[in-house]
Amino acid sequence: MPDSNRSKQSKEREVDKGRRNFLFLLPFGIFAGLAATITTAAFRYLRPAKPIHDEKWNDIAPIAELKGDKPVMRSIVVEHQAGWASTLEEHFVYVLPNKGNEVLSSMCPHEGCNVAWRSDTNQFFCPCHDSYFSLDGERLSGPARRGLDPLPTREQNGVLQVKYQSYVNNTEERIVR
Amino acid sequence: MNEEADKNLLDQQKRNWVSRWTTLGDIERTLIDKPSSGFEAWARTTAGVVVMLLSLQIITGLLLGFYYVPSTESAHTTVEYIEKVVPAGSWIRSLHHYGSMWLTLWLVLHLAQMFWRATYRRRPVAWIASVLLLALILASGVTGYSLPWDARAFFGTRVTEGIAGGLPLVGSAVREWILGGPEISPITLGRFFAVHVMVVPILILLVLAARLFVFRERALVSEAEERRLEVWMHRQVFRNAISAAVVFILLAIYSWKYFAPLGPAADTAAPGYLPRPGAQFLWLFQMLKYLPGRAASVVAVALPGLILLGLILLPFLNAKPIKRLIPHPRRTVGVVIFSFSFLLFTVLTILAYWKDATDPIVGAQLRRQQAEEVAFRSAPFTPLRARTSESVIDEQSDAKDSGKQADNASKNDNQGNGNTAVSNVNASSNMQTNVLTGGPPESYIINCSACHGTRGQGVQKFPKLIGVGSKPRRSVEDIIALLNDPKAYGLEAPMRSYADKLTEDEKREIAEWVASLKSK
Repeated sequence: MPDSNRSKQSKEREVDKGRRNFLFLLPFGIFAGLAATITTAAFRYLRPAKPIHDEKWNDIAPIAELKGDKPVMRSIVVEHQAGWASTLEEHFVYVLPNKGNEVLSSMCPHEGCNVAWRSDTNQFFCPCHDSYFSLDGERLSGPARRGLDPLPTREQNGVLQVKYQSYVNNTEERIVR
Repeated sequence: MNEEADKNLLDQQKRNWVSRWTTLGDIERTLIDKPSSGFEAWARTTAGVVVMLLSLQIITGLLLGFYYVPSTESAHTTVEYIEKVVPAGSWIRSLHHYGSMWLTLWLVLHLAQMFWRATYRRRPVAWIASVLLLALILASGVTGYSLPWDARAFFGTRVTEGIAGGLPLVGSAVREWILGGPEISPITLGRFFAVHVMVVPILILLVLAARLFVFRERALVSEAEERRLEVWMHRQVFRNAISAAVVFILLAIYSWKYFAPLGPAADTAAPGYLPRPGAQFLWLFQMLKYLPGRAASVVAVALPGLILLGLILLPFLNAKPIKRLIPHPRRTVGVVIFSFSFLLFTVLTILAYWKDATDPIVGAQLRRQQAEEVAFRSAPFTPLRARTSESVIDEQSDAKDSGKQADNASKNDNQGNGNTAVSNVNASSNMQTNVLTGGPPESYIINCSACHGTRGQGVQKFPKLIGVGSKPRRSVEDIIALLNDPKAYGLEAPMRSYADKLTEDEKREIAEWVASLKSK
């Protein structure tokens, strides 16, 4: 008799405990639900936006003007639209008249500084971390892991045009950004 | 028998894991008040709803902060971007907008509920904290209303300014302190922004911290009683969660269905614009219609101030001298304040809606504004066209050969590029000659132009040098010394030392040229 009574009591206690656990857990479940709703919205809200690249061809110069065996520096202004603002950025490019007017981006493939042309040594040189590149953009020395990046070009009505493109820096292969 | 007792103790310890490792147990005990059941217990869940709405305001506010820019040029565009482009942006902003009104309402209900249970007697700190919270939420509503910088926001700011300016003696000073000058300006927006996102939230957190961690409002009870209270408390947390969830779902659906209002930018507002405040201030707005000029300012500031002050002082009103005058001073004063405010709020709010709905002229104007907002909302997002400040474009367009530029522009049009008037200008070769012959020494071009631009205009994030000569410690000699040791001049990488990369002559010619650069 006392035994059965005891088991009954413990059973009741167990039921009671289950009930208490449920009462304790349900609010957490509700809070988790609210938090999940907001988190989902926040995730979508904060997800990185794809910037809109300027797919435009920029005039560089009339082909007839591009002569000589030294690179010719030009600047192009590219429109970047990211988020709520569109900004204009000036980028420098080098035209290589004796290499079929190939156009190189002046952005150093190492950390993105702008390289300069040194006429005394006939090399491109990055003033930030001393990477050197040959006349046709090949990597010679320094921390850069690849040569200067060529940009897509075309000829339109006798004018050389270029499309601006940036690549992921500090990699051996060229990955379009 | 003994074993079982040990096991029980162990169980208890296991169960008290939370109280052993956190202060949640203490907070729980701070929050425990006289237990109640039935309707009263459910009425007390206003607390949970307020906590939920407050957290929601903080979370949605933080999210809005990721895109919002508090400048008169960008504020409206960034809000428009949140509304039209960012996924879930319009829902989040709507939650924040209507959430602030719901929070005000629920805080008032919470206070009423606390008053009904005479909480001010047993828990004066809890009572005062709730009143302060209401005051801060109202302040947040006033300042937040100005931030989208559309016509509604602009004229809302103007009304705030007008009310402040009409105060006797201090009026003009208060007005100028609020605006940061004699007129509404970018400074004003900055101030409202700082108060809305920094000052008020910090004060709210301070009030909550004081309520939960600083003051101790625990009734001394026996251990057995405390156990009983804890069990009740768990049930109460459950009830609060249910209420909070229901209100959240209602608000979520409401915000899904109704956008937070956003009209065209402030500077495009047509004359005759009729501003309307948020719902929580409609009563005040309506009251101002019946009061002459300066009296309106005084009443608009004094009335809410007195109501809040009266509520804050309520717990202290049982001093003997007051008791001799009124039998139950706290109850009586409280009933007077609550019934007076309730009557005032409801009657004036209803009047405000009713007047707007029935006045034909006002109604027509409000409908026009509504239509404007609808049209604005359905128009596609137009990004801010930022001009690169010192970039080539401006100077180029000033340049002598505007004819050439026009040529370029028309050529671009022929190619079907509508918006390229600015972008192809550089193709003209005159710039090249300017750059290479007109200006800097060869050594500058090689070593410095990569970052500072061929004319010292700066490139992307790298600083411009134009005008640098007029700054302190930037004489020619200084610039030479700086090239040798940039760190000594407070400059950091990527600016490097050119001590052994340039000859002394080169350093001097660069320094002289840089010092000569003047902004136009």
